[in-house]
Amino acid sequence: MASPILERELKKGSAELLILSLVEDRPRHGYEIGQLIELRSRGALRFNVASLYPLLYRLEKRGWIRGRWVEKAGQRRRRYYRLTPAGRKVHAAQRDGWREFVEAISLITGIQHA
Amino acid sequence: MPDFKEEIRKRLAQLRLSPMREHEIIEELSQHLEDEYENSLRGRVTEEEAFQAVLLRLDESNLLGPELNRVEVQTAQESTATGGERKSNMFADLGQDFRYGLRMLVRAPAFTTIAVLALALGIGANSAIFSVVNTVLLRPLPYKNPDALMMVWENATHLGFPINTPSPANFIDWREQNTVFEGMAAMAQSSFNLTDVGEPERFTGRRVSANLFSLLGAEPQLGRTFRPEEDKPGTRVAILGYGMWQRRFGGDASIIGRAINLNGELYTVVGVMPKSFVEIPSFDNWKDQLWVPIAFSSEEATQRGNHFLEILARLKPGITRQQAQAEMDTIAARLAQQYPDYNTRIGIIVKPLHEQVVGNIKGALIVLLGAVGFVLLIACANVANLLLARAAVRQKEIALRLALGASRSRLTRQFLTESVLLAAIGGGVGLLFSIVGINVLKTFIPDTISQAQSITVDGKVLIFTLLISLVTGVIFGLAPATQASSFNLNDTLKEGGRDSGASSRGNRIRNLLVISEVAISFVLLIGAGLLINSFLHLRNLDPGFRADHLLTMKVVLPELKYPDKQRRAPFYEEVLRRVRSLPGVESVAFGGNLPFTYNGDSIFISIEGRPDPAPDQQVDVVTRVVSPGYFHTMGIPLVQGRDFDEQDKVDSTQLVVITQKTARHFWPGENPIGKRLKPGSSTSESPWREVVGVVKDVRQNDFLAEPKLQMYLAHTQTNAFAPNALVVRTTVDPLSLAATVRRTIWEVDKDQPVSDIDTMESIVSHAVARQRFSMVLLGVFATLALVLAAVGIYGVMSYSVAQRTREIGIRMALGAQRSDVLKMTVMQGLKLVLTGVVIGLASALLLTRVMASLLFGVSATDPATFLSISLVLTTVAVLASYIPALRAMKVDPMVALRCQ
Repeated sequence: MASPILERELKKGSAELLILSLVEDRPRHGYEIGQLIELRSRGALRFNVASLYPLLYRLEKRGWIRGRWVEKAGQRRRRYYRLTPAGRKVHAAQRDGWREFVEAISLITGIQHA
Repeated sequence: MPDFKEEIRKRLAQLRLSPMREHEIIEELSQHLEDEYENSLRGRVTEEEAFQAVLLRLDESNLLGPELNRVEVQTAQESTATGGERKSNMFADLGQDFRYGLRMLVRAPAFTTIAVLALALGIGANSAIFSVVNTVLLRPLPYKNPDALMMVWENATHLGFPINTPSPANFIDWREQNTVFEGMAAMAQSSFNLTDVGEPERFTGRRVSANLFSLLGAEPQLGRTFRPEEDKPGTRVAILGYGMWQRRFGGDASIIGRAINLNGELYTVVGVMPKSFVEIPSFDNWKDQLWVPIAFSSEEATQRGNHFLEILARLKPGITRQQAQAEMDTIAARLAQQYPDYNTRIGIIVKPLHEQVVGNIKGALIVLLGAVGFVLLIACANVANLLLARAAVRQKEIALRLALGASRSRLTRQFLTESVLLAAIGGGVGLLFSIVGINVLKTFIPDTISQAQSITVDGKVLIFTLLISLVTGVIFGLAPATQASSFNLNDTLKEGGRDSGASSRGNRIRNLLVISEVAISFVLLIGAGLLINSFLHLRNLDPGFRADHLLTMKVVLPELKYPDKQRRAPFYEEVLRRVRSLPGVESVAFGGNLPFTYNGDSIFISIEGRPDPAPDQQVDVVTRVVSPGYFHTMGIPLVQGRDFDEQDKVDSTQLVVITQKTARHFWPGENPIGKRLKPGSSTSESPWREVVGVVKDVRQNDFLAEPKLQMYLAHTQTNAFAPNALVVRTTVDPLSLAATVRRTIWEVDKDQPVSDIDTMESIVSHAVARQRFSMVLLGVFATLALVLAAVGIYGVMSYSVAQRTREIGIRMALGAQRSDVLKMTVMQGLKLVLTGVVIGLASALLLTRVMASLLFGVSATDPATFLSISLVLTTVAVLASYIPALRAMKVDPMVALRCQ
């Protein structure tokens, strides 16, 4: 990754989309979300407690995801987040926006689509 | 496992999240950290190293606090401010608050009952008075475009008649010369004896211009109104009022076109007015039961000195009252120049009809409305007090809810919902009270108040009640609600629910409430005191006669049958002879226009040997024609000379009896007996009349006005102003003789109507009905205020004593005497009361000025009233704090200390 400023801005801009994408299929708890981001970005993106949870809470406040305390057998009580119908719409819109954005950047910079 | 919770708690501390939210975040974040920690341990690190690594990452960019702050605190504010997505929650909360509030009220039935009763009294009184105001002052008169309707009067202030009935010739000139009115109609009071159908009966009505009904925009129920061509002498047509049609003709529709006998002449009924037709207001309390065309005779039409009309006019569209007044002023000036003998200094007054109708009661109603507003404020203060005391009891509940995450604004809202709910219930019960109250009001509201009997609770009253209930709920809910929101959670939890710190603020509010209650009731009591004082003054005024044991009735002789004094005299004499011999009758007489029933006929007089006064110097004398024995029967003391007697005949010396005031006016310092005067100018044909007696002055139609100049003539010697009332002084209950006396009159003339049978006492009491109305109501409200204030003071003092039980116990343990405790407690109450009295005194001095027009014989700042009310209020207040003080005195130091 390039300069820390660019990294921070990119992270910020993309974070919402990342989280929405991760809870799209099924509800996940915060730790799991953090882990998945790190894993799937092959360590390029990492969220710690201080940045992840405020983000989750913000999305929840906006009504895009919803957290619920769930107790599963053999596990401790965890807060699972899942996408709300409103969140689903936002997620679709954001994904399209990002796709267009990335394509535009690629066209200009000549970076190949991965 | 290390305790991450404490670490997170530390980092969240300055965010001041609600306890519940804080708990939730700590829970979630600590789990995350624990996961990370366990993950770290899988590498080759010590527990301590893993712990430090986790913390390091937690604080990496020092973001947690600021980020959470942005999400949790700022967005919360944002969403409350904008409403936005929280809206649905607000309503959900409201529903929840409402149900919760209802449960709380049901669970405390004593509290709820007392609070609802206090509020219902306050709100009910307001609704009742408002419905009177609504009907009498606010409801438009039931005529077409009523705002353009005016009454037009002569202004003869220099003669003591600022509002005077115009003369026909003046009316005709006004009508012809003005350009501001669409039309003008004249009315003249008249009474009609109905004969030939059942019992003879006298009906009051008016002769009216043919255009009167179209001017009002009133349609008949049956038939038609008058045609313009019917407004001339000789046409005999009549329109009946709904009441007369129903009662005397059984609502028979075939009455139209039938002839009825009125005053011995046949009139054709052409129309019947509907029940909804509201009477046209009159100069005095004349009730119209039927109408005939005014049809001025050619002689009448030229009369300029005979004032007996009431004029109704409708402004042309676009003309203001001021423009009309200006033009009428010009006309008045012109007429004064043209007819100096009659019109010098006679002005014209254009007065809106509505003002004419409500004029004499408006002031009283506004004062009453203010008074009930005050009563409601006191009720509010009381309920606020109760709520404060309850809030103290409910501290544990509040603390628990705060601890469970309720926000302070949410608690405030909860408290407001509860108080508004309380007020709404109070308002509902109050509405019932007001319906009962209105029915009670109707029984003693003066019937001079227009539309008084149609007072009802209508939509406007309902809206008014709803609004004041809401406002009331917010007012008395504010104090406890703000107290709840400034509640200190930690202190309460630590002190285990004991009343503490927060309540010193509560005490301050409570003290303020007591002070304001005392101040407000002081103002009300002063108002009531002043009115009661005026009323007593009024009742103590000497009317000039003895009203007790007097039976009166109207006996109006039809002019056709009894056209002159010679033909009337035998009837009078025979009735007097027969009634006098009835058991229970002490004396009996005929008289014209009894006091308090009529303004009085007045004429100007000339004195023998003196030049006639200039037209604007003429003095009118109220003239009453009586039979011998009138003064004795009425109890009017004869001061000098003699009464008329049976020897004073048509052809003997023409006589007159005058009042003291008349004697002083015309013959100051001289003996008037034997002097001669005559009605009209000295050159007129009427004979000189010799003064044979002087009697005491009698008040005429207005209790408040000084008696006018008056004189009495013998019925045998006067054609004008025939006596129309029989007065009987009885030794038994006057009304028990009514039927016998009436039958006796019918023995003399079976067709002679007899009406308005009443006692003189009731006539006099009617004359002060308006004053009594204001006095009784304000008295009731002031008493209500006093009781409520006393209850309030008592409540606060008992609460304060209960709160200070321990302190009192300590004091007594340390050697304080019971009397010291008593003194301390009473002094505490007294201090509040005196502060309230001082504030009330200052406010009353300002506020009672608005009552000046309602007062009689007392000034608005009457020191005696102020002093006695201060004493009464202070006494009541001291008593209200004395009872709790007695309880304080009985505190057992041991028990008080142990209960700590």
